[in-house]
Amino acid sequence: MTTVGLHRPVPGDAPPPVTGTRRDRAAAGWRLARLYLVSRRVPMALALLAGLGALLWAALHWRWNIAGGAAARKFIPLTIQTGAAAVIAVTTYGPFGELERAAGRWLPWLRLGAAVALTSVAFGALAAGAAAGGMPGGTLALLRNLGGMTGIGLLSAAVLSGAFGWTGPMAYLLITEGALAHRSTTPWVWPTRPPADRGGAICAGLVIAAGLVLITVCGPRESGRESGPGS
Amino acid sequence: MTAATSAPVRPRTPRATSAVPLSAARLLRVELRRNAMPWILPLIAALFWFDSYRPSIGTAQLYGLRTFWNMGQGHTIIDFGPFVAAVAAWMGSRDGRRGLADLVTATARPRWATQLVTWAATAIWAVAAYLVFVAAMFVMYAHQGVGGTPPWWWVAAGVTAVAAFSAAGFAIGAYWPSRFAAPVAAFAGFLAMAMSSQAGFKYTSGWALILPTNSNGNFDGNAQGDSGIFYPWLPDLPIARIMFLAGIAVVALGLTGLPARAGGRGLRRAAAVLTLAGVVSAGTAVGLARTAQESAHGMIIPALHDAANDAPISYTPACGRAAGVPVCLNPAYRRWLPDVTAALAPVLAGVAGLPGAPAQASQVAAAYPSGDGGPPQAVTLGGHPLMLRLSLGLLNMPGPCGFCDGPVAAKQFADQIRLLFAHAFVGAGSGSGGPAQQAVQAALLRGAGIPFAAQPRLLATTGNFPESGLGPAAGPVYAAARRFAARPAAARHAWLAAHLAALRAGRLTLQELP
Repeated sequence: MTTVGLHRPVPGDAPPPVTGTRRDRAAAGWRLARLYLVSRRVPMALALLAGLGALLWAALHWRWNIAGGAAARKFIPLTIQTGAAAVIAVTTYGPFGELERAAGRWLPWLRLGAAVALTSVAFGALAAGAAAGGMPGGTLALLRNLGGMTGIGLLSAAVLSGAFGWTGPMAYLLITEGALAHRSTTPWVWPTRPPADRGGAICAGLVIAAGLVLITVCGPRESGRESGPGS
Repeated sequence: MTAATSAPVRPRTPRATSAVPLSAARLLRVELRRNAMPWILPLIAALFWFDSYRPSIGTAQLYGLRTFWNMGQGHTIIDFGPFVAAVAAWMGSRDGRRGLADLVTATARPRWATQLVTWAATAIWAVAAYLVFVAAMFVMYAHQGVGGTPPWWWVAAGVTAVAAFSAAGFAIGAYWPSRFAAPVAAFAGFLAMAMSSQAGFKYTSGWALILPTNSNGNFDGNAQGDSGIFYPWLPDLPIARIMFLAGIAVVALGLTGLPARAGGRGLRRAAAVLTLAGVVSAGTAVGLARTAQESAHGMIIPALHDAANDAPISYTPACGRAAGVPVCLNPAYRRWLPDVTAALAPVLAGVAGLPGAPAQASQVAAAYPSGDGGPPQAVTLGGHPLMLRLSLGLLNMPGPCGFCDGPVAAKQFADQIRLLFAHAFVGAGSGSGGPAQQAVQAALLRGAGIPFAAQPRLLATTGNFPESGLGPAAGPVYAAARRFAARPAAARHAWLAAHLAALRAGRLTLQELP
């Protein structure tokens, strides 16, 4: 196979864009979204999020509390929220790499849509789990904590790689645990703040906004190294 | 396909046994180089500093206190375990994720053997990092002059916990080759540690002692024992935990050898035996933990206990003087000798020359709390010649105090010591004492510079006087104390010389006080 005989296309001689009815375009769009979601293992992520919701329900229903006061009671629900954020972060990992980036015109929008949709589903699943009662901080705190930790997961995915996006939320959980134990109240560790606290909400909002922007525009980091975090 | 059936059977060439370890070592070297664990170590190092080391330096410079949070409550394991499990899951799922499972199954070496090498490389990285980080922490402690000896057995338990997390994570990855294996393993690790804390903080005895975050009976933040200072850290419970965690690791690794693709029938049978051995080890450890009994020096498991570990640690005391009385402390407490002598000087001066006054003050080992009666008295009198025994391990020493509302001021410590001395001197025992004893105690404290008005608060904030309220310094006890304190020092001294034995025996009433 050689390049003999290949010529630069004459301007105006480009193939016409694929046209079709609105229905065809909708079908193609749906197919694209479906393939994207399947490639990101979103069905498995949905199953895991549902499992985390059920786990939260069980933890609240049977009162799996750590002794030590109100701060310690937050830890198990926070761990479950962290798990949800980690799952969302890992769904950003794509198996096709450069090929998909070069050809996928809609990729940024698909990334944004998937992240927002999964965060919403996670919130719904955990809110349903919280229906068992006794959720520390209530639904408002759940929204803030989950949103902020998902933002950290998306930032980790953008910096480290989608497959290792879970490291950010997990590390943040440890920082939160230390802050809860030692009564630190910086708004950047928002789970330590009251549910209606403006500072904590702003920080969590900033983090998820940054995470969504970064994952939409840049996507998750892709590494060529075999054994590195991106492999 | 008849050629194969008609071909002569070739005798199997003898295995070059010497080449096996060599090739395994080579494989291990390759796995060590291609392992993902080093990538996560900087993050773990940062978390270790933040969560294990940083909070510990807010406590007094004693190993029992410095390591209460990071070893006793298992925070070094919490910092390592979930991340190690996640990376091990990533390594365990590697072949499956890349669609290489069939390819590696067809290689000369059994799949289980290669998996074990991959796990070994992952565990070596994790355990080596754990040891390096803990060693760095202890070097920092040594540089800061922390007294006592490090809890080495708890370090060994931590090492085994890290290996167990790596094995469990690896098994998750091997069975579920998915991109979600790593976060699920990390989440499971965190949840396991949270549940361990949930049970560990509640149960002071029984099976829950096996949990790696349970500090009851060996590290106790409320009434600290003097492990590693007066007596060795007892290895009984750490040995049981090592057995338990090693059992979990062996079960996890054995499970990876059970599927048909893991190897031949013999190898799978060995994996099954290994799994059973792990279950037995973990189950035995839980059974041993159930037999644990709290002693004055920590948890004793009769089946594991070695009497040699009960021998006290010999030392040369650090001594000073307070009002002419020698005061001797364990060298681990040397930095607080000036505080102790300054605290004791006024109360010892107030009773100097009395027949019941102590001739010497000496630090003794603090025992772990036993029963529901609260911590034992930290200052007692006894022996011939009469000696003041100071269990300083039961008190918060001046300076940083990680489990208090703030640092302990020298005056706060001195007032507490003076109260405990006066309480011991009047012979009030483990309770509040009789009214006459309380009145003389109040007068002695007044003589040592603690006004009557400040005494109810001092009593309320000292752990050994639970029935004392925060009311005003009024009532018949304080009236008698004021009356007694108003008398000249020589008259008080003479009255005490004559009535001290009766006062200590509880035979005096308030009306009999001058």
